[in-house]
Amino acid sequence: MRSTVAAAVALCLVTAAYAEETAPEGPPDWLKALRLKGRIAEEFAYRLHDPGDVSKLRTTGWLESKYSFSESANLRLAARARYDAGFDATDRYPANVERDQKTELELREALLSISRGDLDVRLGRQQIVWGEAVSTFVTDVVNPRDFREFILPDFSELRIPIWALDLTYRLAPGVNLEGVWTPDARINKLPKHGAEFEFAPIPFRFRNPMVRLPDNPDEFSLSRSEGGVRLSALVRGWDASLLYYDEADKNPVLRQRRVSQAFGPDVIVLEPEHPRLHIVGVTLAKSVEPVVFRSEVAVTVGKQYSTTDPLSRDGIVRRDTIDYLVSADYTFFSAVDATLQVSQKVLTGSAAHLTYGAVEARVTTSVALRLTTGFFDNTLNPTVLFVVNANRADFRLSPRIDYLVAGAVTISVGADIFEGARHTLYGQFDRSDRVWLTTTWRF
Amino acid sequence: MFKWALAVTLLLSVAGRAQGDEAAEIVRDADRARRPGESFVWKITITSFEANKSPAVDGFEVFVKGVGRSFVKFVAPPRNVGRSLLALGRDLWIYLPDAGKPVRIPFSQRLVGQVANGDIARTDYAGDYDATLVGDETFGGVACRVLDLKARTKDVTYAAIKYWVSKDGRRPVKAEYYAGTGTLLKTGVFENVKEIAGHHLVTRLTLVDAIRKDKKSVLDYREITVRDLPDKYFDKNYMKTLD
Repeated sequence: MRSTVAAAVALCLVTAAYAEETAPEGPPDWLKALRLKGRIAEEFAYRLHDPGDVSKLRTTGWLESKYSFSESANLRLAARARYDAGFDATDRYPANVERDQKTELELREALLSISRGDLDVRLGRQQIVWGEAVSTFVTDVVNPRDFREFILPDFSELRIPIWALDLTYRLAPGVNLEGVWTPDARINKLPKHGAEFEFAPIPFRFRNPMVRLPDNPDEFSLSRSEGGVRLSALVRGWDASLLYYDEADKNPVLRQRRVSQAFGPDVIVLEPEHPRLHIVGVTLAKSVEPVVFRSEVAVTVGKQYSTTDPLSRDGIVRRDTIDYLVSADYTFFSAVDATLQVSQKVLTGSAAHLTYGAVEARVTTSVALRLTTGFFDNTLNPTVLFVVNANRADFRLSPRIDYLVAGAVTISVGADIFEGARHTLYGQFDRSDRVWLTTTWRF
Repeated sequence: MFKWALAVTLLLSVAGRAQGDEAAEIVRDADRARRPGESFVWKITITSFEANKSPAVDGFEVFVKGVGRSFVKFVAPPRNVGRSLLALGRDLWIYLPDAGKPVRIPFSQRLVGQVANGDIARTDYAGDYDATLVGDETFGGVACRVLDLKARTKDVTYAAIKYWVSKDGRRPVKAEYYAGTGTLLKTGVFENVKEIAGHHLVTRLTLVDAIRKDKKSVLDYREITVRDLPDKYFDKNYMKTLD
């Protein structure tokens, strides 16, 4: 009996040893902890208005990696490289635009995340996204934005990553307190003069010669550092958050100075400034099956606007501003996902002499409708986005179709149509209507 | 006469309640055959079929803790990597890398193929539905109890489910999923029973569209690990960290 047991044990050990010897070697641990992914996109856009021309022929590559030291610590790195051959294909755009937009290599993420107990620490270059609604910036206030292609790219591409410390502490299940601090006070990237999506110039009060001083504040500054807190809670299915953020205005306001000349008319010097803003916000979201409701409010204290009022001493007026939105998502016939969003920008004071760009009146009302559906098992996805500013009826219409050719390849075709008066938000791009085609390969 | 009527009414009500309790117990037992423990991780591969098309494969890693808390990572195909879903009770969020934040979505929204978000994010029929026993039937050679499940609230994926549970072992065998209008949406067949961590689990669910019979999705459950998961995995603010 003993010998049988011994033989059996020996057989087991030999089998185990053999199994160990012959087991195929898997990848080493460090390789298992590493995730690499990326995508390459070829973007083509054609300007419809005279002169019709190629407005974009851009190749973009993204490479993203995540290395997990453990379940509670990881490092992410992401980079984006761009080359726009459109600048070689056409001489429509001036040299300053070509220098600004033709090539680009950018570190998009370098983020160390450590989680210990109820505390999460995220340190590095990152995007910090607040708010409940999609495709809007009401309470998404932390990162500056790249407006060189207006607001047409994905919002993750629009946001400019910043070096920041982001701490989140779980006070109770579903209740979080988040604190953000950054010395990285970079500002929005605006299109250069002559660019396809150059903003319409602010109408000025004088016919005098003007000199605009450069707008290049230091990107890093402890004295101009920014930060804020957000308290968020999930209570009985209600997502609620209360936030405060202190920052420099990411868009410049132009202070005007009259400088006398020995000969000729006075010169008006335009000096870009970034006044300090104090933003208080509230967000709410609730799913009442099958409808999802969202709402956001942001009160911006200290907001200043350039005025066209000839009696203004320096061309700047302060108007604290309230932005809010209400939106609802609903799926029709189990097939068409619809989002209806109504938003308003309310100035706490007269809007006289301030009506350009995003301000159309004291209360500027905007309505957005997005419809999306899928055919052939969601491999063919048409979407249409229509946004209209109710005050002056300027609008944006963006239909698109995304076709999933295979698991890794997507072909998208679409158009961006703008209509409206010259100094309205969408009307200023009336002559930049375009059709576009993008092929994306993901790996 | 009145006393007799009262006694019969009481007896009928007690019998009805007992039957209701038995129905709830059957659904609870069947739920156990669809989840290996209180806290676990499994991988789900969904293969979607349609006539004249090559099958599409989607992969998910699903973290579950208790009833109603699940976190779903999208692991394939490459275009979906980085996305995730979080279900807390009847609340559902999706994390999209393009949005950069969790976004609320309804449970009933379609995930892939014939699969709704709720199909992989919730396994708690006993908590979501009131059950009534309606009879016995044999399906695929298996003797089953047949139950009608009615949604307790509108916040669930299906308004009603007709549910076949095996008499032996009380494992789910078949389900018909209905909309609020009473329209049959799809039919599910549970297969491949395996013993994992001391439980007998169904590891395959095939969902067939009620109208287009050629459209079906097969959910295969694999790499099942029972372990205690931290609570923070089920916090929407942690979704980006876990992606």
